[in-house]
Amino acid sequence: MDALINKRIKQVLKGDQSAFSDIVSHYQHSLYQVCYRMLGNRQEAEDIAQEAFVRAYMNLHTFDQKRKFSTWLYRIATNLCIDRLRKKKPDYYLDAEVAGTEGLNMYSQIAADEPLPEAELEKMELQERIQYEISRLPEKYRVVVVLKYIEELSLQEISEVLDMPLGTVKTRLHRGREALRKQLNSL
Amino acid sequence: MNKCPQYIVDYMHEYLDGDIQREQELELKNHLQSCTDCQQHMHELSDSIAFIKSATHISAPPNLEIGVMARLPKPKQHVGIQK
Repeated sequence: MDALINKRIKQVLKGDQSAFSDIVSHYQHSLYQVCYRMLGNRQEAEDIAQEAFVRAYMNLHTFDQKRKFSTWLYRIATNLCIDRLRKKKPDYYLDAEVAGTEGLNMYSQIAADEPLPEAELEKMELQERIQYEISRLPEKYRVVVVLKYIEELSLQEISEVLDMPLGTVKTRLHRGREALRKQLNSL
Repeated sequence: MNKCPQYIVDYMHEYLDGDIQREQELELKNHLQSCTDCQQHMHELSDSIAFIKSATHISAPPNLEIGVMARLPKPKQHVGIQK
């Protein structure tokens, strides 16, 4: 498969834009899936997955063909997802004290971030619940958990995707698993 | 609550990553046999992984590829030639 993809990359670089559609077709499901799991929203996932392919096309000349193309694509997509998640966050610091409310910080004011009551959780379908628990993970743990357990990448590959030392990937995966464990067992 | 040393939990994660040393693995197994708290901890970790892995595979929407191709900039050399 990699040989075919590399052939298509060469065709695109020579100006044959239509050759890019095979590349999209081959990677679209895994790329969309990682975006959906990161963002938790189908519309946004589609938008970001498309954007990732467009950026890959525009920057194709910078891709080193001795490397794995999927790793490079995953990197573009996860960066875009993390940017999107950060933009959605309000631009104040959550642990900053709210003016005139002595000791109160934003955390104590935001009800939406609190875990749902048990009765609500019980009503959820399994798949809905899985996505909900993923979305509660802090983004730096979420991305490693998604790449490891949804996309089934190796730790070495994850370290290349995230451009992060292997040790950091391991630490984040450990913390991600502990965070999940706590979320699932707090009831 | 759990008074066991932190390295036992570290071993659990190394075990889950499949990169634990043989000696440490034995130590972990011996410990788990005698400590119900850590046994519980280990089970909860394994269950959390199984839970995430039970996520169904999600496919891209049918028009994703067409959408991408439409968003690509027009190739320069063909501008004006197409009929």
